Amino acid sequence: MTGELLQASGIQRSFGEVTVLSDVSISVDPGEVVAVVGANGSGKSTLLRILAGVSPPDSGAVTIPPGAGSARRLGYLPQRPAFREGFTARDTLLFYAQLLDGVDNDDVSRTLDRVGLTGVADRAVGSLSGGMTRLLGLGQAVLGDPGVLLLDEPGSGLDPAMVDRLFAVVGALAAGGTAIVVASHELPAVETHADTVAVLEGGGFRVVDTPEALLDETDTDSLSAAFLRIVGADAGGATVASGTGRPPDDTESGGAHDDA
Amino acid sequence: MRDGRATDGGQPTASTGASAGSPDAESTDDAGNAGRAAVAAAWQDLVVVATRELRTVTRTPALVAISIGFAASVFGVAWAGTGAGGGFVPLTLDLLTFVEVLVPLLSVAFGYRSILGDRRTGELDVLRTFDVHRVAYVGGVYLGRALALVTLVVASLLGVGLLVPFFTADLPTFLAINEAVDSEVRYVRFVVLSAVFTLVVLAATVAISAATRTLRAALALAVALVLALVLGFDTALVAGLAGGAISDGGLAVLVAGSPNSAYRGLVLSAAVGVVGGTDVAAGTPVVNLVGLATWWLLSISVAVWRVWPVVERSE
Repeated sequence: MTGELLQASGIQRSFGEVTVLSDVSISVDPGEVVAVVGANGSGKSTLLRILAGVSPPDSGAVTIPPGAGSARRLGYLPQRPAFREGFTARDTLLFYAQLLDGVDNDDVSRTLDRVGLTGVADRAVGSLSGGMTRLLGLGQAVLGDPGVLLLDEPGSGLDPAMVDRLFAVVGALAAGGTAIVVASHELPAVETHADTVAVLEGGGFRVVDTPEALLDETDTDSLSAAFLRIVGADAGGATVASGTGRPPDDTESGGAHDDA
Repeated sequence: MRDGRATDGGQPTASTGASAGSPDAESTDDAGNAGRAAVAAAWQDLVVVATRELRTVTRTPALVAISIGFAASVFGVAWAGTGAGGGFVPLTLDLLTFVEVLVPLLSVAFGYRSILGDRRTGELDVLRTFDVHRVAYVGGVYLGRALALVTLVVASLLGVGLLVPFFTADLPTFLAINEAVDSEVRYVRFVVLSAVFTLVVLAATVAISAATRTLRAALALAVALVLALVLGFDTALVAGLAGGAISDGGLAVLVAGSPNSAYRGLVLSAAVGVVGGTDVAAGTPVVNLVGLATWWLLSISVAVWRVWPVVERSE
């Protein structure tokens, strides 16, 4: 497909005897928001780390064209962002800005404003709440207007208003042409903001489609219900994946299966 | 985006734009320009990381307290010993063992969390998405910490050295004396060699920080390193000599194999020189220098190798 900013094909990753990702492929166009959803342990973070280039796959390839983004091709928000405690939020972003050409203090101030941290910009990182630290991580990830943005559970620990703000930022970036992959359990927000939802289970994508199509296919009225139906979990049951190999074909198998 | 950037964190080198149908000389120029741009970008990143490390040290209360403690201890040793009252060489001899023991401990304090801290917070992964080269990152961490630590060691030793002229008793004028036996030049040599020793031990500590994944492992390895430097190597040498396992010829090489022994040998030969009218010989100076250089190079190489894996990405 032409015009893709991110393309990964044949990604394979195992940890010892446990196969986490098996022949996973994904492509993201400019301006597209792809949400990767799946049970805990299904391999979302592993996939994002491989896409970000911080973890090597056993096999497969990840491609990002050289011209993607302005100062930076790729932005990445890890699952549990943390920063040096002796620095302020502004100091932290200034440090990262210095690693990018053409990104200056004004860009840092704009980024702080964009993620809603202007009011605590000069507060030490160690005194920020978990949610604020995550927003700072988002600020780091969007600094330099990357062509591809990878966000690993960005809404974790944020209140609903902050989750809305975060996804608003994501939407604005996508409108500007950024290709975005977000791993998230915030399914209502995903349903509203994602163009494509990819359900990761059993080492591969079980379903990749628009939120609307998923609702139609599963005959449900919310993405949460659709997800539970796809992964075969009851509403009150657990959805934890921990195993290897491919999942059974029966999406209505019931309960959390252990071969994800 | 920085053109021609040297990367190894999964981020491909940015294209500088190929000129279609260009002659070989032109493409050689392009490659040369890209190479220079990559080196310039890596140097810039190194300086940015080094600045951050310096600021981290100055903002870490524990390191500030340890630094004050070290400086006070240096003055205490000089005050308690024959040190500042006896001249530069006595002061050097007073401080030699003290530096041998405390500099490794200081290096552990300054270095064992340097890279591991970024790994534990996840910033190591984040930094890689900024196309920072491994050499630039490790070099920056090492440079920043080294600047702080070497400044502390050199300033403390020079500071106490400045007291010598004020505390040394007037020399009797009826004796013929050799000015070279005790001079500030010899003391400056001691300070310079102490700075070199500090750089070597810090490099080993940074390597441990890069190679380990948990604080417990890093601390255990760092303590083992200090014990080996301060006690282990020398004890093994003495045991080897006593047991006849080490020949006189092999002793010089083995002395150079331990940073502490090599440093001690260099100080004794270059900064002390004569004790009791006899030349002091502890190994061969050149071999000792090679030994320190080897430790430094191996340590930095291990740090660069282990800090993060190279992830190839197609364009």
